[in-house]
Amino acid sequence: MKKTSIILLVVIAACVAGMVMMVGDFSTYETFATARKKEGKQIHVIGALDKGKEVIYDPAKDANYFSFFMKDKSGEVTKVIFNGTRPTDFDKSTELVLTGSMKGGEFHCTKILMKCPSKYKDEQTTYSANKNS
Amino acid sequence: MENIKYIGEHLLPGQLGHFFSILAFVASTVAAIAYFNSVRAKEELKKASWLKMGRWAFIIQAISVFAVFGSLYYIISNHYFEYKYAWQHSSRDMEMKYLLSCFWEGQEGSFILWSMWHSILGLILINTTKKWEAPVMAILAFAQICLASMVLGIYIDLPGFEYRLGSNPFILMRQDAPDSPIFQNPNYLQFKQFAEGRGLNELLRNYWMVIHPPVLFLGFASVIVPFAFAVAGLWTKQYGDWVKPAMPWTLFATMVLGTGIMMGAAWAYESLTFGGYWAWDPVENASLVPWLTLVAAIHTMLAYRSSGHALRSTFFFLIISFVLILYSTFLTRSGVLGQTSVHSFTDLGMSGQLLIYMGIFTIPAFWLLIRRNKHIPKIQKEESSYSREFWLFVGALILMVSAIQVTFTTSIPVWNKLLALFGLKKLFNLEDFAPPANPVFHYNQIQIWLATVIGLLTAVVQYLKYKDTPKGTVLKKLAVPTLVSLLITILIGWFGKIDFIKYGAGFLVAIFIMLFASVYAVVANSWYIMTALKGKMKSAGASVAHIGFGLVLLGVLISSSKMEILSIDSMGMLTGYFTKESGQNSRENIMLPKGMPVQMGPYFVTYRGDSVGTADRSKTFFVMDYERKEHMEADVKERFTLYPDAFMEVRGQEGITPNPDSKHYLTKDIFTYITAVPKKGVVTDTLPYTPHIVKQGDTIFFSRGFMVLTGLKTPPVQHNNYQPEPGDIAVGAQIQVHTRDNREFRLQPIYFIRDSSFQSNVPDTLGQFSMAVRFTRILPNENKVELEVKESREPMDYVVMKALVFPYINVLWIGILVMIAGFIMSIRQRFRRS
Repeated sequence: MKKTSIILLVVIAACVAGMVMMVGDFSTYETFATARKKEGKQIHVIGALDKGKEVIYDPAKDANYFSFFMKDKSGEVTKVIFNGTRPTDFDKSTELVLTGSMKGGEFHCTKILMKCPSKYKDEQTTYSANKNS
Repeated sequence: MENIKYIGEHLLPGQLGHFFSILAFVASTVAAIAYFNSVRAKEELKKASWLKMGRWAFIIQAISVFAVFGSLYYIISNHYFEYKYAWQHSSRDMEMKYLLSCFWEGQEGSFILWSMWHSILGLILINTTKKWEAPVMAILAFAQICLASMVLGIYIDLPGFEYRLGSNPFILMRQDAPDSPIFQNPNYLQFKQFAEGRGLNELLRNYWMVIHPPVLFLGFASVIVPFAFAVAGLWTKQYGDWVKPAMPWTLFATMVLGTGIMMGAAWAYESLTFGGYWAWDPVENASLVPWLTLVAAIHTMLAYRSSGHALRSTFFFLIISFVLILYSTFLTRSGVLGQTSVHSFTDLGMSGQLLIYMGIFTIPAFWLLIRRNKHIPKIQKEESSYSREFWLFVGALILMVSAIQVTFTTSIPVWNKLLALFGLKKLFNLEDFAPPANPVFHYNQIQIWLATVIGLLTAVVQYLKYKDTPKGTVLKKLAVPTLVSLLITILIGWFGKIDFIKYGAGFLVAIFIMLFASVYAVVANSWYIMTALKGKMKSAGASVAHIGFGLVLLGVLISSSKMEILSIDSMGMLTGYFTKESGQNSRENIMLPKGMPVQMGPYFVTYRGDSVGTADRSKTFFVMDYERKEHMEADVKERFTLYPDAFMEVRGQEGITPNPDSKHYLTKDIFTYITAVPKKGVVTDTLPYTPHIVKQGDTIFFSRGFMVLTGLKTPPVQHNNYQPEPGDIAVGAQIQVHTRDNREFRLQPIYFIRDSSFQSNVPDTLGQFSMAVRFTRILPNENKVELEVKESREPMDYVVMKALVFPYINVLWIGILVMIAGFIMSIRQRFRRS
């Protein structure tokens, strides 16, 4: 067997082994209920901001404390705490993807990924609103 | 609807634009067919006439693409907001230079840009490729059909099959939403919705965003050229001839793509939208991967030219590079990245079309490679382990492994889709995979080893000769650079205090090994220029590029392992008080009340106020004074002012879009940006007194610091507000106040009983914080007292900011410039030879 073929095989084997190991590094999407069973483990939760509950960010008190309530896909509402500032246009978000872990019934997130409606769609609804007035 | 005659619309540029996009589609189809037939034709005469036809058709399509570009730019620059594209991506208040950024903010504009680069490259290829023109141009024209289809916007309405082919950028607002009642009015353009467009995303209003996309797309566009050469070689069965003319193009594509990527990194660095120059975001990864495989291709091409080995891997690397360009296009434009990156394009519902674009090139190219595999010439004799070509091949493999790892993790959303598609998800009861919780470390822990190997190979392989190297000579030649590199590594480690232990000691060891590898790459290649090439810079292109690469690795390593956050909330005492959680994680934001200096690392930073920008009214500048001094009263060693800015609540947006300002030094950059400001016009009234039951030595926290009850004093220290009368029993609470900016104050609220029955107190205040403390009760049984604290929180102007230090980032930028210079030198050298 040629040397290059041997190297090629070794590399392929290493890649396969590496991939299997990497999958272990992948996180999962959970709901708050399943996250609670894996307390402390870093996971992702998808949901939407509960606009009826309070959203707290008061830099005069603590510039690194932001809390809100999120409703996950199963409909459960849980308090979320983020150590940072309030993201821009947070209230308008339609979907949130949080990275973090559950601690004592609260979700502590390290990253917030927001999805906002296209502003163009907003404008569209303004058109239709004009009709009624 | 049809009968309404609208007032004030400018329909001509849109009609022209749409006409030319259809013409481009048709002409590129004609060009592709003609060039294809020219390759297939047996007779010379037929060959020539098809070729001529293909040539003219391609020139017509090139002119059409320029016309499409011109029409769309005309619409944007004249603010014709009746067009959806202009309305969605531009606005009147924008500075001139950003009109181009508006052009490529949308998918359609960036496809047109890409197509325009293809056209320009095609015109050059027609004039330079000679016998390779027909097959190479057939492939390029074929790509042009695909790109032109992306901006067609034609509805195919066959029975049982409805599809919208492409997205037309020349569509009018009223065509996009024909049912909106507003369009019943012929004079709809008078309404305020159409007086102003939605404008460019604030984050993209940066000069890098004017230049980064065209360069990146030129990179994307030029990858097809070496791919076309390789496929042409397989197609016409001239398996090796194409390598020489393709070489300068491969170098060019690699250089431009790399420059484009790093311009994006420069933008990310300056705007801090990714928190630094590289964040392993899927969007960044998608364009890095084809660059890695292209670099691999360059090296196997070199190996082939000098030894005849590695031709098959050259085919593979060039084909996979272009396929990965198409894959990255699919990832960033189809919406599949949705939950993993915010930086991708908005989804236009064209994923089907993008998949076809990818498949239509991938499948035939690989099919051709597999079918012709047997015929590709190869050398039976095995390469020696002491030969350069062997190690070039190993290096290319390592680059491929790196590309595989990055692609594997970036493609997580694709794996989820595939698993669901094939029913495997249900079968194994799998949940959707999510990206790693700490993506940066996930990539770094693997890539650091690959980068180390690449760095070492970069240093050593040039000293090997093709075919075989006399043993012993290499070690002799390498002795000096190896020792010098070891010494430099130790010095950097010693004086640079590399002690990055966040991810454990193992990772620190990896950092040191990679530090050596990158220093070694720089030193060994410099040594090579001095000794082996004897300073002849004409043929030193490769070594210069390698020095640049070594510097890039070094810059990446040092700047990321030594990055520091200055604005850590420094009040250690307060950690964990304000909320019990806040102390557990990094507290990277700090609040600065106006006019009050706050310590951050060696600096005292004062927020002086804000002002509105002159060029762009929606921008607000914040004046931040930096003073470097030992402590509050010490002499100022250095003073400078930074002006970070932010777009404030533009177009109904809530919150701000900040843009940092930085102080550049040779050895470090200090970044400052505003993360929050108080809402204007919201008046918070004075808070009520909050009671605290404390005993001596207890601490009470308030928003700007804490206070300690040090003792009770009878009678109290003489106080202005309190006039003692005979018979009074008065007690003064001795309070030591410590504020967040490290200042000390004393307060003494007084509690007294007059005439044995009348209880009263005299509060004490801290004027500059609008804070008052009163002493209301004594609880003798518990040996405690009640103190009440009140803070007035308004009016107070403040900003919340973050400050970061990136050290030695200039090593990275210099490395990139050196690398580009090396590429240019190599390209010139190849052109001179050919």
